[in-house]
Amino acid sequence: MSEKELGKKWDRCLADGAIKLGTGLGLGIVFSVLFFKRHTWPISLGSGAGLGMAYANCQNNLRSHYMLHRGDKEQ
Amino acid sequence: MATRIWPVMKLATKVTIAGGAVYVAYDSGLLGNSEQGSEALQKAKAVIPPAMEEWMKYFGVEAQLPTIPKIEFSPVDAWNSGVRWTISNLSEAPTKATEYTSQGLQYLKDLTK
Repeated sequence: MSEKELGKKWDRCLADGAIKLGTGLGLGIVFSVLFFKRHTWPISLGSGAGLGMAYANCQNNLRSHYMLHRGDKEQ
Repeated sequence: MATRIWPVMKLATKVTIAGGAVYVAYDSGLLGNSEQGSEALQKAKAVIPPAMEEWMKYFGVEAQLPTIPKIEFSPVDAWNSGVRWTISNLSEAPTKATEYTSQGLQYLKDLTK
């Protein structure tokens, strides 16, 4: 992977992480206020799940360069 | 009859709101892979200034929001220069240490003369 490509992948990873953290936080707040009587745990669960999704995406992205993909049929 | 329906109505409203929030998050690609996420971010960035202008006009506040000053600070450059500074100082440290000790010893010798 060239350095430029790697840099772009990391940029996307961080942006994605921020987005998913925000989304998880938001959804956690919504659920906490509506269903769980304003407890804190749905908020933490949501943000944690968001961070976890971002981590998994990042991992996949960075590994995909070294994996074979299904469409790579070499003659 | 109304007293029996009210809790059901409340629950239904809550479920609708929560379900709507989850659907919006799913639909705008916030929960997908990183390309979709950055797309959504770009769309949001593009939409904000016109929306802000509309809101300002709606409230009758014609004051111009101060434009965000273009800060010429790049964290990447700052970090890189910091790393270079640290490593170069670390590599020069032994030489400088011997220099300073010899100077100090010289000074002390001169004192005792």
